[in-house]
This record gives sequence, C-alpha cells and structure tokens, in this order.
Amino acid sequence: MIETALLVLFATAAVVGAVLMLLLRHPMRVALALIGVMISLGGIYGLLGVHVIAVFQIMIYVGAVMVFMVYAIMLLDVRDPSFTERYSAWLWPGVAACGVLAALLVGAVWRGAIPTFTGPGDRFGVQPFSLSFLADYWLHFELTSVLLVVAVLAAVAVIKLRGRHLG
Amino acid sequence: MTPTATPITSPLLGLIVLLPLAGFLFNGLLGTRLAGARLKETAVNFVACALPGLAFVLAVVAFLQLLSSGAPLLQASYTWAVIGGQRFEVAFWFDRLSAVMTLVVTGVGTLIHVYSTGYMHGDKGHARYFAYLNLFLFFMLLLVLGRSLLVMFVGWEGVGLASYLLIGFWFDDPAKAAAGKKAFVTNRVGDAGFLIGMFLLWGAFGTLDMDRINAAFAGPAGAVVPAVSASLVGLMLFIGACGKSAQIPLHVWLPDAMAGPTPVSALIHAATMVTAGIYLVARMSPLYGQAPEASAVIAAVGVATAFLAATIAVVQNDIKKVLAYSTVSQLGLMFVALGVGAYAVAIFHVVTHAFFKACLFLGAGSVIHALNGEQDLRRMGGLAGRIPITFVTFAIATAAIAGIPPLAGFFSKDEILWFAWASPKGGAPWLWALASAASLLTSFYMFRLLWLAFFGRSRMAPEVEHHVHESPGSMTGVLLVLAGLSLVGGFIPIAHFLEPMLPLPAIPEALHHSEKVLIGIAVAAAFAGLAAAAWFYGGDASRAARVRDALAGVHRWLTNKYYVDELYEAALGRPLVWLSDRVFLRVGDRMLIDGTLHALAAGARRGAAAFAALQAGSLHRYAFYAVLGLVAAVLWSLRHG
Amino acid sequence: MDRTQFLLGVSLLLFSLGLVGLIVRRNLLVMLMCMELMLNGVNLSLVTFASRSGSVEGAVMVFLIFIVAAAEIAIAIPIVLLLVRERRTLDAGAYTDLKG
Repeated sequence: MIETALLVLFATAAVVGAVLMLLLRHPMRVALALIGVMISLGGIYGLLGVHVIAVFQIMIYVGAVMVFMVYAIMLLDVRDPSFTERYSAWLWPGVAACGVLAALLVGAVWRGAIPTFTGPGDRFGVQPFSLSFLADYWLHFELTSVLLVVAVLAAVAVIKLRGRHLG
Repeated sequence: MTPTATPITSPLLGLIVLLPLAGFLFNGLLGTRLAGARLKETAVNFVACALPGLAFVLAVVAFLQLLSSGAPLLQASYTWAVIGGQRFEVAFWFDRLSAVMTLVVTGVGTLIHVYSTGYMHGDKGHARYFAYLNLFLFFMLLLVLGRSLLVMFVGWEGVGLASYLLIGFWFDDPAKAAAGKKAFVTNRVGDAGFLIGMFLLWGAFGTLDMDRINAAFAGPAGAVVPAVSASLVGLMLFIGACGKSAQIPLHVWLPDAMAGPTPVSALIHAATMVTAGIYLVARMSPLYGQAPEASAVIAAVGVATAFLAATIAVVQNDIKKVLAYSTVSQLGLMFVALGVGAYAVAIFHVVTHAFFKACLFLGAGSVIHALNGEQDLRRMGGLAGRIPITFVTFAIATAAIAGIPPLAGFFSKDEILWFAWASPKGGAPWLWALASAASLLTSFYMFRLLWLAFFGRSRMAPEVEHHVHESPGSMTGVLLVLAGLSLVGGFIPIAHFLEPMLPLPAIPEALHHSEKVLIGIAVAAAFAGLAAAAWFYGGDASRAARVRDALAGVHRWLTNKYYVDELYEAALGRPLVWLSDRVFLRVGDRMLIDGTLHALAAGARRGAAAFAALQAGSLHRYAFYAVLGLVAAVLWSLRHG
Repeated sequence: MDRTQFLLGVSLLLFSLGLVGLIVRRNLLVMLMCMELMLNGVNLSLVTFASRSGSVEGAVMVFLIFIVAAAEIAIAIPIVLLLVRERRTLDAGAYTDLKG
C-alpha cells in the first residue's frame, strides 16, 4: 500500500520534472529539474528492489554527468537569443508528432497483456549482482572500459584540436 | 566447259601477292625517314620497282608451271575466320584467266613504277607516292588471285582505297581531294550491289569460293538448279562492276580522277583497277551463261556508255580528260563483249587496252612534263618535232586505239564488233551499229587529240615553249616498250589461250560470210576518223570552230557532260544534305539525343535540388523527421506485429 | 492497472518528453539534457522488466548504459564548448553549416 503510494509519488515527480525541463528558461534551472527527475527515478529503482542500479543511478548520473553539465552551464553563461526565445520554429509540429507517438506507445502498453512475473528476489544486491555480472558479462565490461579509454583520448584530441581548428 | 583438273599447291602465289605489300611497308614506314634526299629517292625507287618486278618474274614462273601441268595452282594461305560451321579462308587461285590478269597487272605495273621514278622526281611526297602505288598493286593482286569472292572483295575495296589515296595525292588542293572523295563514294554505291550479290550467293551455296560456285552453275543442265536467280545475282554483281569500271550511271568519278598524278591515271584508271569489273564478270561467266536477262542489261549499258562517253570526249579540251572519257568508252565496249557471251574477247581487249591506254596516258604525262604542267589542248601544238620519242609512241598508241590494222587495238576491237553482230547470245545489229559509231568517234577524237597536241602551229605560251624538252630515259624507255606492245600485242593469242576456260559462243553458219564485210567497215571507219580529224584540225582548225558555232547547243550539252553531275547534285546531293541537316542534325542529334541527355541531367539536378531542400541545416528539423519516421515505424509494427 | 504497465507508461512518457524537448528547445545544452532524459526513460523500462522477471540481464544493460552515457557526455560537452568558442552563441539555429 505505502509502496504503491510512494511509487506514484516518485513517478509523478519524475513526469513533473520532465515537463518543467521543457518550460523553464534558464539552463541552470533545467539542469536542476533534470536532477530531480533522476533522483525520483533512483527512488523508483530502489522501490522496485533493484538496489545496485539505484545506487549507481545517483552516483553516476547525478554525481558525474549532471555535475559536469552544471559546470558547462556555468562556464557558458551566454545571454543569447536562446535565452529569450526558448522555442524553435518546430514547436507545434514537434509537440503534435511526439504527442501522437506517446499516445501510440502508451496506448499499446495499456492494451497489451503483460505476463505475470516473479519478483526480484534478492538478486539485485551489490554482491549477488556483481558476481553474476562479472561471471557472465565480463566481455561487455571490458569493451565498455575500452570505450571509456577511447572517450578520454577523444576528449584530449578535441581539446588539442582547438588550436588548429581556430585557424 | 571443260572440267578443271585437280589443282596443285604452289607457294608462289602468296609470295606474288606479298612482295608489293613489303614494298608498301618499306616505303611507307621507312621511306619518309631516310636521310638525305638523293639516297632516299634512290632507295625508294629501287625498292618500289624491284619488288613488283620480282612479282612479275614469279608470275611468269607460275604461268610456265600452269602451261606445263595444265592444272590451276592453288594456295590456301590461312583460315581467316571460323564462324559456327563456316570456314572463311584466304586462298589464292591461279588459272588461265588469273594468269593473264596477273601478268598484265605486274608487268604493266612494274613499267609504270619505273616511269614514275622519272615523273615524280623531286616531289615532296615521293616516298608516300610509291608506298601507295605498291599498296595498290598488293590489293589488285589480291583481287585477281583470290579464290573466293570474299578475298576478291577485300582486294576490291583495297584498290578503291588506294585509288582514293592516289587521286587525292596532292591533297593541299581541295578540288583534288574532293575528286578522291567522289571516286570513293561512287565506288561504294556500286559495292552495295556487289555485297548483295555475295549475300545471295552465300545464301544459296554456303560458300563464296568462285571455282565451286562456277562448277555449280556450269554443271550438267538440270542436275542441280541453284536456288537463286542467276540473273538477279548477275545484276547485283554488275552494279558493283559499274562502280569500279565507271559505267553509266556510276561513271562520274573517272574524269574527276584525272586530278591525280598521270602515272596513277595510267595504272589505275586505264590498265588495271577499272578492269576489275570486267574480270569479275568474266570470272563468273558460268553464272552469266545462265542469266540471259542480266547479260542483255550488261550489253545495253556497255554500248550506251561507249557511245555517250565517246560523244563527250569529242569536245574535251584537257588532254587527260579526253583519255579518261576514252577509257570509259573502251570499258563500255568490253562490257558489250561480256554481254554477248564473248568473255575471252573482252579479256583480250583488256590486255590490248592496257598496252595502248597506258602508253597514251604516260605519253600525255610526258607532254605535260615537257610543257611544265600545261594540260589544255588549246595551248599546245607543234610538238611533233620537239619531243620526237613522245610523239612517235603517242602516235602508235593512237593508231592502236583507233583500230588501224595490224596494231593491237584492231584485232581486239574487231572481235568485239564481230560478236556484237553475230553472237547467238544477244548479238544484234543495233548493238553493232552503236558500237561501231562509238569506234568511229573514238578514232576521230583520238586523232583530233594527236593533231591538236603535236601538229600545226604552236599555240603555247612563250615561256612554256622556251623550255620544252624531251622526258628523261626512265619515262621514254617505258613509252617505247608500251608502244612496241601496242604494235605487236594483237598477235598474242589470248582469246585462244582462254578458250578452255571461257569458250566463245558458236556463231551460226549463216552469218560467217558477213565477217569480212564487217572487218572492212571497221577499218574504213578507223581511217575515216583519221581523215576527218586531219581535215578539221589540220591547219588552223577554223573548220572545227565553224562547226562548233553552228551546233552550239549540242556542243554545250557535250561540254557539260549531259549535265549528269548536276543531276546527281540536285537529285541526290542536295536532298541528302537537307536530310542530314534538318532531320538528323537538328531533330535527331540536337533535339532527341542531346535533349534527352540534357533532360536527364536537368531531371537529376531538379531531383537533387528537391532533396537538398530537405537539408536546411537545422537540427530541430532533422529530429522532427526522425520522430515522423519513428511514428511511422511504430504504426507499422502495431498493424503487422 | 498493473504496476508494470504504469511504470512502462511513465518511461514512455519520459522518452516522449525528452524527444519533444529535443525538437522544441533552442539551447544546445538543454538539448543535451533532453537526450539524457530520453536515456533515463529507457533505463526505467529496462529496470522495470529486470525487477519483474528477476533476470539480471536488464540490470546489466542499464549498467552499461550508464557507462556509455557518461562517455557520451564527456565528449558532447567539449564539442559544444568548441562550437561556442567559434560562434559565441548556444542557439542551435546558428549552426546551419550543413545546409545543402
């Protein structure tokens, strides 16, 4: 009972945060709305019993990605047309198209029959999760570490490009 | 027709054909590059004359071999193509007819090569000239020695090419180049007929070997009926012969061909190439034996050409043009002989004509050389004493062509007239009458030529007259040889030699008595022509001028060659040009082909522009399109999922 | 309504809202954040299925998405920085060089 109420609460908070992202003017406020969305999602994950993911959601997304985004916003405090004119020329066509999309998708989910599942069990604690993760998906893990190395190289290259690029 | 004996293989034939080709390659590739003018001319002269001379020697050897064994020589050189089950071979065939033709081609050819060394001395295209002349000999030998119509056709086209190259030899002059083009195009029109004839024969027999086709036509009557009308094939092949041998209506190129150097006119347009048509008909005589309609057409066209060309020759003022029309006329007489079945007599006349016509042309060349390029008869005169050798040889040859006995022309022409009257295969009095009229005119205009050029008071320009000189030994020597042959050539029993191959039609007994009468009339006509020419053109030629003024209309028609060239221009030339310009160029090429390409390109450009409009550079627009795609995909999967 | 359906609906809604934001907002950084929102929506649906079925694959996928999203943002922000250094504006309408 309380679980369902909390779930609905967090879900509503996420949706409201998302809508706010579209309406707010200052990028910093938009970032804060996004942080709110992410924290709500973390809460949902926790309620679903997927604790390890919930923790990583907060640590990686909020703690790293959004912090970086906030730094960027603070760095680029530019007052330009996008400040006053929030919306592009595609406002209404975009809203219409995505409304249709959302209606289609949500309608499909509503009408579809979801088979019954078993619960999460205790497989999503840190220890059991890590064990099964690294046992079966170690290759994917290694590949993503390669991806991260490449990303670091790319970032360095992009910064170095700056000198030549401006020529 | 006696069945031919089994042929024996001989390597001589290929060698005969290839020797002039080697000369062409040497002169063409190396001749222009040799160092030093003197050395170059000598080397080119030597190679150019020695190789045909050697070919002549080999031809004599082959001829002796033919005589001793009695069997034709054959050399199958190599297989040109194998298409499906058909083999196309390059093979050479040497029987009596080929022997006569080969000896004439190589013999007279070598003589003219020697003459050319003197005539073309100092010309800047010296090596090129001899290269082309050797090339011509190669193709001509291919033509007369070829076993199949295919090889003959290669030679046929090749001599046309060599003729074009040599007529337009001094191509810097656009008129001369145009003359070469005219010759080639007119020949091609005839070749269309030749090709159709070849196709018909191949369709009926599956082979183009002339000996096999002739055997099929000459076989015992009723044994094998060829599946094609002999007359139709005969007519088609005759159209080809008309083009090559300058008969009406394809005669227009020969007078224009006089733009080339005079030895070329002598070799190609008198002695050898133009006789290729005669050779073709004579070679295919068994076919023509079965084609009375085609033979009648040949005789009619031949006699018409002979008469009309003779009338035009009477009023010509250029020394070479007179000889050109004379050649057309004499070829017409040869076709008359062919048309009435006297094939061997036609070949006999080919040989004697080669002798005296070559002598006449080379003599004219000598006159032109002496007068430093003057060719107009109205500016000659009184040359007899000043260039005696040329005069004597020219006079002998003129007497020969006029038919004065016992020179060569008398014998051959008289045989033709006899068969025109008496042959059971189409001989008729009207044929004889027209041919005799042509002969009378021939005698007249040839002696007119002799008188205007050599007798009377000199009408030459003073500076020309000052430099008149006899030609060098290389030229006069050849003239003497040819004049000698014109004297005695009539006694060579060529018709008799060809009898086993080309039997003469049997004259009915009843007509035999008229032979002496006809001979008498012919001789009388020859002398009448001589007398008339002397009367008109002796002295100051005032009588001729009065007759000309009296018959001004006729004179104008003859001078303009019956307006045939103008007719062709109006009926064929201008419509073709109009068609090419209006239809093919403007509509076909510019509108359709270019238009299609432009339209395609424009279409591609417009399509690309339409697509480019989608890319406005706006990220939002792209994202929107992505959403549209996504919606479509979801809809599709919902519908079909 | 089942809990699963509800959560799936929420995730799809979040995804659509992120997509709308990508189309309608002009600021480059806001557009980036909308892309993050889309990723989060997808994460939610993955986690829902993982928790419902008890299989760990969904969670693994989400874990990997975390890493990839981090790498992506690590590159995207420097790119935006460089662009802004050139044109001195964050307005997406100013970057139309690919117009063709």
